[in-house]
Amino acid sequence: MLQFPAIPSWDALHPLIIHFPIALLLIAPIFIVVGAALTPTKGRSYLIAAMVLLLVGTASIFVAVETGEAAGKLAERSPGMEHVLETHESLAERTQAVFSVLSLILLSLLAVPWLLKRADTRLTTTILPLAFLVLYSAGVLLLVNTAHNGGRLVHEFGVRAMVASSPVDASAALPMETRDKE
Amino acid sequence: MKKFAYSALVLTLALIALPNGAMAATKTLDNLQTGFNGESNANPRYLAFAEKADQEGYGEVASLFRAAAKAEAVHAANHAAVIKMVGGTPQAKIEAPVVKSTKENLEAAIKGESYERDTMYPEFLKQARAEGNRDAVQTLNYAKTAEGEHAKLYSEALNNLPKLKGSKAKDYFVCTVCGYTTSQMDFSKCPSCFTHKDRYEKVS
Repeated sequence: MLQFPAIPSWDALHPLIIHFPIALLLIAPIFIVVGAALTPTKGRSYLIAAMVLLLVGTASIFVAVETGEAAGKLAERSPGMEHVLETHESLAERTQAVFSVLSLILLSLLAVPWLLKRADTRLTTTILPLAFLVLYSAGVLLLVNTAHNGGRLVHEFGVRAMVASSPVDASAALPMETRDKE
Repeated sequence: MKKFAYSALVLTLALIALPNGAMAATKTLDNLQTGFNGESNANPRYLAFAEKADQEGYGEVASLFRAAAKAEAVHAANHAAVIKMVGGTPQAKIEAPVVKSTKENLEAAIKGESYERDTMYPEFLKQARAEGNRDAVQTLNYAKTAEGEHAKLYSEALNNLPKLKGSKAKDYFVCTVCGYTTSQMDFSKCPSCFTHKDRYEKVS
């Protein structure tokens, strides 16, 4: 019978969380492009959608960094993997900082005209958002490289499933040759 | 705060969910005791090696031995904490260290550290992971990583031993959380446990 899988621990949450910032933050600029292409009145809702994606994506980076550090404490180091892990960790922190700033910028771009009760113009819904995309590309570059290094850790160095979610037969965790001797 | 809120949620849901049985940690407890015994003996042994290195005029090697001794004390304390957590009592049989020449001491230290890095801790980790003992995995992994660094630093010292004759004490840095040992603090967070570098202690 189908049932809910075990609730992952904080350190085991990293592989589940990391897909949120990658997906949300790569989709957000598409909404900005669509919003910029439309008329100021129609485009604003797309820009607001982009802002929501950016804010949720940035929040998920914070969770990803925290869970990543917890997972990293349990990851066995090997000579090649150590360097990739350090790069991944360092890039993740820079990505977190850059997207925090980008979130504030887009929030300001959308909130300032609204607070000043100014009508939307091409400047606020097309020119400034497109200029913002140039800055955004720096964040995308960091995000993609962070993800790439995380992918290398999993697929090249086999860093995965740190700890069994429930006790298993310990001998099953031993290599075949060791099990045969026992 | 985030961790606390998440832990509270997991705990609540775990209490509601079907119990999956108490963790039997006997094998990992034995392994932790073995690790604790090894680390507890390594501390006085390295301090004795440091004294010998000072007598022979290898100040830099003496500093390295003292730093490693500090790291082994951190590992022993970490292992002891997990042993207590799973209901055991940390026990160590301290043996008198066998001290030879600094060259031989380095060779013995490399052999010991390499065994712990390549054989002992990987097997202990496999067992702890299978048992789902997260705390044990963490302390064993911290020790394995640091022993790997020790083996590397000892090997470098052994390869340069003639040049190190007459050398003075050198600064090494030891993470007080995981025992990671280095001579270069070119990072903001510990590469092993991600603790801020302020938690490192200088050993000379």
